[in-house]
Amino acid sequence: DVALRADDSLTSELSRELENGRLVRLLCKLNTITERGDHAGDSAWSEHGERYPLKLFRDYVFHQVDESGRPVLELGHMIRCLNKLDAAADDRVTLVSRDEQTVFVVSYKDLKVMVDRAFNELVKRTKQA
Amino acid sequence: MDADWDEVGRVPFPPAGANEFSRPPSTIAFDTCQELLWTGNDQGRVLSLYGTELQRYTSFRIHPRTDGPVRQLLFHDKGVIALGPRTVHMAMRRGLPIWNIRHEDMKDLQCMSFTSKGASEILVAGSQDKMFVIDINKGEVVKQVPTEQHYIIMKKSRYICAATKAGRVDMLDPISFKVVKTWIAHTAYISDMDAQNDFIVTCGGSLKQQTVQNGGYMLDPFVNVFDLKNMTSMSPIPFPPLAAFVRMHPRMLTTSIVVSQAGQMHVVDIMNPNTSKVRYANVLSYLNMVEIAPSGEALAMADNESNIHLWGSPSKIHFAEYAQPVEFAEPEEPAPTIDWAGETPLNTIGMPYYREILASAWPPNLISDVGAPPVKYDPAFLAGLKQTEWGLYGRNARGMRRNQAENTRSASLSANALQPPKFLSEKAREMAKSSGLTAPA
Repeated sequence: DVALRADDSLTSELSRELENGRLVRLLCKLNTITERGDHAGDSAWSEHGERYPLKLFRDYVFHQVDESGRPVLELGHMIRCLNKLDAAADDRVTLVSRDEQTVFVVSYKDLKVMVDRAFNELVKRTKQA
Repeated sequence: MDADWDEVGRVPFPPAGANEFSRPPSTIAFDTCQELLWTGNDQGRVLSLYGTELQRYTSFRIHPRTDGPVRQLLFHDKGVIALGPRTVHMAMRRGLPIWNIRHEDMKDLQCMSFTSKGASEILVAGSQDKMFVIDINKGEVVKQVPTEQHYIIMKKSRYICAATKAGRVDMLDPISFKVVKTWIAHTAYISDMDAQNDFIVTCGGSLKQQTVQNGGYMLDPFVNVFDLKNMTSMSPIPFPPLAAFVRMHPRMLTTSIVVSQAGQMHVVDIMNPNTSKVRYANVLSYLNMVEIAPSGEALAMADNESNIHLWGSPSKIHFAEYAQPVEFAEPEEPAPTIDWAGETPLNTIGMPYYREILASAWPPNLISDVGAPPVKYDPAFLAGLKQTEWGLYGRNARGMRRNQAENTRSASLSANALQPPKFLSEKAREMAKSSGLTAPA
């Protein structure tokens, strides 16, 4: 009985660590692609470019605020968004730019495609060097 | 137009909800598959409005603010194509960009139209000597076509009907883009044109002696009609209040709706122009634009005071013929609050069901080098920095890029590693190598 319980706790520890690793990898990917300095003159990242939604998604996940503009630090929200992005869920979210004039309705699936495309471009550029 | 048509809605443009100055839209168009009215403004922003209440739906920018207005919108199954003076942009209806084309020869684009290849290709033209053929699925310029005329309006029916500023309408072959026939519709300019099935209808103006103080131009008191089946012009439809805008009814094939600048609307049968129904839109200033929905059940008018008026029968107004539902974001269920304490396992929030490779999958062939010694800073560089309570600061004088990755392993090996004693053979080899290297030089 004790052995079984030990086994169970090991399994749960393991799944916890797997989860952490997965989230960290996803976070690293996101952070390597958004807000790179060398994108400053790149039209794909400008407001009419194809990478702009990724920037807004980063804001959506990490820069949440309440109605009076105070930051909302809800780990649950962040992790759930990241999990949905990881699994390319069909759910749609509304992304709004900082000046509140650009509104996108985006599914996590679209976002994942964009993340992959942007990251693969970075990988390709690494290899060229 | 049924007897119960009336003004169903009037919203200021842009509608309330964002801190934007109100200004008249530069273009409006009804979506062909969803209940959306699309608008473009004079700074390159496209905004879609949902339903008869014209609520804000999505909004995006197609080019930098300085590039000017959105000129025209076209609809495709996959999304919306928006034309700016120097840009052609395609986006999903949900706002996500699909492609964005800028070309150095795109200088002042004005209008576009689908070609013979259904909805997979468009022709783009403007006040310039080149027209562009663009493949919609690939998002590329396929061909450039030289043109002598500068077109401002394009509509596709049997031919691509292209109007110039000067009152001329060219009928272009939708395959070869050659001019098949030219029709001088108005003597001075064209203000609006529509083409559908077998007819082209135009509004325009001519130079009038009695209006010299207004620059000499005046709208003509009639709508000109061209019959594409017989390739002849027909007798014009009289419109005493001066015709400014005209649209063919999408379902009643010979019916057209003519509107004056002050908002007087006539519904006229081209075949029988003497009987018409009259309506008055209640506008305080002048109308800028009139557009009819593909269902024929709604009419949108934009006036000079930045209002959009929506007309239709209050009971059965709808925009698209077979409307697909508009996709909104799911309401979000509140996330479980978990605290930031180090002990909380991160898997308290489960993954949704998935079957593809996860986004977090890291490519297997990326090798990272772990465990190299830390970067050593030049003492002279450190000395040049100022000391504060949180650290040192100063300018980047190390001659490297910001965040440049350094190979500290090789540097430390060559510079300050202890020289291990060498075998005699090694010494000899080194001697030979150095002399061999220096000898040719």
